[in-house]
Amino acid sequence: MKTKENPMTDTPSSVEKPTDPAIESGLERLTPDRIQQVIQDVLKKETGPRFKAYVETCMHCGLCAEACPYFLSNDRDPQFMPAAKVKNTIWEMLKKNGNVSKDFLRRAVRISHLECNVCKRCSMYCPFGIDIAYMMLLVRRICHKLEITPQYIQDTVNSHSVTLNQMWVKDDEWIDTLQWQEEDARDEFEDLEIPLDKMGADIMYSVIAPEPKFQAGLIYQAATMMHAAGINWTMPSTPGWDNSNMAMYTGDNEISGRIARAFFETAAKLRVKRIVMGECGHAFRSVYDMGNRWNSWVMPPFEVVHALAFYHELLTEGRITIKEKYKKKVTLHDPCNVSRGRGLHDKAREVVNMVCEDFVDMVPNREHNYCCGAGGGVINCGPPYKGERMVNNRVKAEQLAATGAEVLIAPCHNCHSGLEDIVHHYDLKMEIKFLGDLIYETMDKKIYTPGA
Amino acid sequence: MNSFIAFIMGPMVWISVIIFLGGLTFKLVGILGAVRQKEPYIYSYMTLKHSLRSIGAWMIPFFPRSARMSPIYYGISYLFHILLFLVPLFLASHIVLINEAFQISWPALNDSVADGLTAGVIAALIFFVVRRFRVPEVNYLTSAMDYILILVVLLPFLTGFLAYHQWVAYQWITVIHILSGELMLIIIPFSRFSHMLNAPLTRAYMGSEFGQVRQAKDW
Amino acid sequence: MSEKTSWDWETELKEIPFNEWKTHFNWVQAPQVSQNGESIAAVVNLDEMVFSVCVNGQVWEEEYEKIWSLTSVSDSGFAAFVARDEEWTLSVNGQEWTHWCDFIWQMMKSLDGQFLGAAFQTDSEYGVIVNDTPWEDRYENLTGAVMAADGTSAAVVQVVPMPGADVEAFKKGVFSVACNGVPEDRRFLNIWDISFDTAGRQMGYGVRTDRESYGIVQNDTLWKNRFESVWKPEFLDENSLLAPVRINGKWQLYKNDAPFWQNKYDQLWHLTLSPDGKDVAAIVSAPYGRWRVAVNDTVWHVAWDTMISDIYFSQDGSSLAAVYKHKDVWDLAVNQTPWQMAADMVFVPCLSQDGSVVAVVIQKKGQYQLVVNKKTMASGFSFMADPVISADGSKVLLKGIENGIYKRRIIRV
Repeated sequence: MKTKENPMTDTPSSVEKPTDPAIESGLERLTPDRIQQVIQDVLKKETGPRFKAYVETCMHCGLCAEACPYFLSNDRDPQFMPAAKVKNTIWEMLKKNGNVSKDFLRRAVRISHLECNVCKRCSMYCPFGIDIAYMMLLVRRICHKLEITPQYIQDTVNSHSVTLNQMWVKDDEWIDTLQWQEEDARDEFEDLEIPLDKMGADIMYSVIAPEPKFQAGLIYQAATMMHAAGINWTMPSTPGWDNSNMAMYTGDNEISGRIARAFFETAAKLRVKRIVMGECGHAFRSVYDMGNRWNSWVMPPFEVVHALAFYHELLTEGRITIKEKYKKKVTLHDPCNVSRGRGLHDKAREVVNMVCEDFVDMVPNREHNYCCGAGGGVINCGPPYKGERMVNNRVKAEQLAATGAEVLIAPCHNCHSGLEDIVHHYDLKMEIKFLGDLIYETMDKKIYTPGA
Repeated sequence: MNSFIAFIMGPMVWISVIIFLGGLTFKLVGILGAVRQKEPYIYSYMTLKHSLRSIGAWMIPFFPRSARMSPIYYGISYLFHILLFLVPLFLASHIVLINEAFQISWPALNDSVADGLTAGVIAALIFFVVRRFRVPEVNYLTSAMDYILILVVLLPFLTGFLAYHQWVAYQWITVIHILSGELMLIIIPFSRFSHMLNAPLTRAYMGSEFGQVRQAKDW
Repeated sequence: MSEKTSWDWETELKEIPFNEWKTHFNWVQAPQVSQNGESIAAVVNLDEMVFSVCVNGQVWEEEYEKIWSLTSVSDSGFAAFVARDEEWTLSVNGQEWTHWCDFIWQMMKSLDGQFLGAAFQTDSEYGVIVNDTPWEDRYENLTGAVMAADGTSAAVVQVVPMPGADVEAFKKGVFSVACNGVPEDRRFLNIWDISFDTAGRQMGYGVRTDRESYGIVQNDTLWKNRFESVWKPEFLDENSLLAPVRINGKWQLYKNDAPFWQNKYDQLWHLTLSPDGKDVAAIVSAPYGRWRVAVNDTVWHVAWDTMISDIYFSQDGSSLAAVYKHKDVWDLAVNQTPWQMAADMVFVPCLSQDGSVVAVVIQKKGQYQLVVNKKTMASGFSFMADPVISADGSKVLLKGIENGIYKRRIIRV
C-alpha cells in the first residue's frame, strides 16, 4: 500500500491483494466437473424468470456505473462498474455453461465479496431497475457451494451455525454480559433491570453479537434509555438474541433461514409484541427483508423497529427528553439497509435535529447516499482486505470531508466500523458516533411518568 | 420481382406483425407462468400502486437522479424511443398503405418533418455507436451484438430516409427498407429488444420492492 | 399433571397483596406464580447487590448477589439461579444445591417436577447438571442442552479443539452429542435439536455433514438420505423418528429415512404429536406466506398470513389449538375455528383432558383477560399466568393480579 501522505491517489493496483487461505484451499479441492455442476445447479434450479429477465434486459448502457462507489473511487475504472461485475461473473458463467477456470472463480469471489456491498444503489440508476445486488448474491451462493468463501466471513457463518450468533459468543457469556451491564447501569438508576426472558413484555430488545463481544457499553446505553422511558421490555437469555446474519451474505441461505427462524421464534416464545433492534443495518435487512423470506414469512411476523425509528418514537412521545442539545457540528450517514432498505432517513434527520444543534447534510444523501464500503459482508471478509476497502471508497472520504462536520453519526455497526477506518485512513479528523451515544449523552436521566 | 414485392408487402407484413405481437404475448405469458411456477413469492411483493409509481417516475424526463447525471444520453435516448414509434406510425406513406389495406387512416406527419425526424433517429443511432466507442464504461460492456442491434434499427430508418429522397436505386432501397423493417419486428421478441416488455416488468418489481417493502424511492 | 386432583378446586377466591411488597423492598421484579396457584414469588432487592426471593410475602433465608431465572417447579415451589461470591448454583425453594460453578443457565424441568437440570460452566469448561449431579466430562463448548422425562440429559459438545477462524478444522466436524456427559463417536459440522423419545432412551437430532448436506441421526445411525435442510425430529414411538426435511426447496415429512407425508410444503415445522400417538400435526406454509395447520398431511381449511406460533393437542388427541397472528392481531383457533379475539397477544392455551374446554390468557390494550371457550371470563388484570383446567374439565384456575392484589380464583365452566 502507498504511504499515508497521499491516500487520495491510491489506486487498486497499488494495493496488495492478499491470499485468502480459505479461497485457495477451496479452489485446490475443486474439479472442473464439480465447478460446472454447481454453477449449473444454482443457475438452473435456483433461479427463474426474474434472473432470465435481468440477463436478457440489460442493454449494456453503462448508466449503473455512476451509482457505484467502487467505480467512482477507482477513477472510473470500468471493471468496477456494476454491470461489469455481472459481465465478469454471471455472463461468463452462462456463456461457458459453467465450465469456468479456477482463476476465473478466484476473481469471481473477489468481485462478489469484496467489490460489491450489495447496497442496491445501482438498481436506482438502472432505468430498468435490474437488481445487480441479487446477481452478486447469486455468485456468492455459487462460491458458498464451491466452498471458496473468504475465510473470515465464513468463520462468522460457522459461528452462526453453531451458536446462532456471529461471534462465537457462548450462552453463558451472553447472559453474564447483560448482568454485568445491568449492574453497572445501576450506578445511574438504582432499580434498573435488564429483564431476561420476561414473558409478555411489550418489546424484545435485540442486538448483534459484536455488542456483547466488544461494545457492551451500547447495551448499557440502551438499557438506560429503556428504563428512563418506562418501557416494558425484555432480552432473551437463549440463542435467538442475535439479529445479525452473515450467512445471508455468503449465500448460505439455509443457515440464514435458520438464524432468522430462531430470532422470530424467540420473540414468539416470549410473547412480546414488537422487536426493537440496535443500530445495525445488515441485521435489519436480515430480519426485515431477507431472512424471513426463506422461511416463507412474506414480511417479518413481528414488527421490527430499528433503533432510529424507536428513538424517534421515544423523543416525539416525550418518553425521553433532551436536557441540552449536542453542540458540535454533526453530519449523518444514511446506512443503505435502513434508508434505501426501509426509508428511515427522514425520521433519522428529525431525531438528529431534536438532539443536535448544528446538523449539516452530506451530499448525496437519503436513498442516494454512498455506502460506507464496509456493508454487505465486505468488512467481514476481514483485516487482510482493509487496504483495498480504503481505496475502494475514496468517494466516501471526499463526501465526508466536504461536510466540514466534527462528528459523524453512523447509526449502523458496519457503517460505524467501516467509516472509522475511512476517517482514519484519509485523516479526516472526525469523531464517529452512534445516534444512541448522542441521545445517551444529552438526555435527561430521569424516569418518565405518563401524564407528567 | 413484382410477386416478391407483393409478398413482402403483403403476407410478410402479416407474418412479421404476428411474430412480433405473438412473440411478445407468448413471452409475457411464459414469464408470468414461470414466475408462478418457480418464483411465486414475487407476486406477494408486487403492488399495482408501486409498480405504476416507479414506471411513472421513470417516464418523467430528467426526474430520476440517474437521468440528471447523464442528461445528454438520457435526453437523446428519450427522444429516440419516442421517435422510434412516432415516425413509422405517423408517416404519410405508411398510413396510405394501411388505408389501402384496411380503409382506416389517421393524421400524418408532414413529409419534411418526418424526414427531419428520421434523420434525428439516424443521428441518435450514430450517437449510440460513438458512445459505445468513446465512453470507457460503455465500451467495456459492449459486444458485437450491441452493434448488430443498432444496425437492425438503423437499416429501416436509413433506407426509409434514402427511399424518400430517391437518390439511388429506389426500388432496391425500398425492398431493403421493407425487409429490414420486418426483420426488426421479428427480432424484437427474441433479442434484447424485448426490453420493451421486460423493462416495465423489472421496473415494476423493483418499484414494488422499494415502495412496498423498503418504503423508499427507487429513482 | 396427575397431582392436579389434590389441588384446592373448592375455595373460590384466595388473595395475596402483591403490590404491597414494593413497600418492603427496594424493588420487586416480575412475579412468577406456582403451578397450583397457591403461591406467588418474585426476586426482590434488599440492598445494593443483595437479592432474595419473596414467596407469598416470606423471603428466602439466604441472600444473594444475583438471582435470575426464577421459575415455578412442581406444584407449589420455585427454583432460581443464585450467585454468591461470584459463584452460581441452583436454589429450590431456598435450598441451594451443593455444586457451585462459574455460571449456570437454561433451567430444564421434567413435567412431573422430579428432575431439574441446567447447563453450567466452570473454569471455561461446560457440562450439564441434573438434580445437583453434574456430568463428569466437561467440554470447551456446549449448546442445545436437553433433558428427558427421566432426567437423562444431552447436549451438543465440542470434542476437538478448534483455533479461532479455522474454517478447515470446522469443515472436518468438531461437534458431537454427549448423553449424560458421554460423547458419541461420530462428529459433525453442526448438530441441532436433540429429541428424546418418551422413555428417554432413544435420541434423534439434525446434523450437517458438509457445507450443504443435512441429515438426521436416529440412535447413532445417520439416515442415508441427505437434504437441503432439516428441522427438529420427533419420535412417533420408540422405533419411528419423524423429521421435516427440505428437498428441492420444499419441505416434506420423513419417517425413518423415507417419505411419510406425501405433500410438499413451503414450510413445515413444529411437529406436534397427539399424546396417544395417533395423530401428527405440524405448522405448514402452503402456498408461500399462507400459514396453516396440517394434521396427518391434511391441511386445515383456514389459513393465516403472518404466523402460527405454536399448536397444542388435548390429552385425548381430540382437540388441536393453534396460536396465530393474522393481519397484525393475535388469535386462537381450536379445531379449525378461529375465536376472533383480535388480541395484542395470546399466551399458551390450556386444553382439558377431553378437549372440550380450552382456556387461554390474552392481552388487549395492556390488560390481561381470561377467555374460556371463546367467552371472556375475567378482564382488567395487570398480569395473568397461564390458566389450568381441573381434571374433570369443570373448573378453570385463574392466576392473576388485579388492582395490585394477586388472586387465585376458581371459575366454573
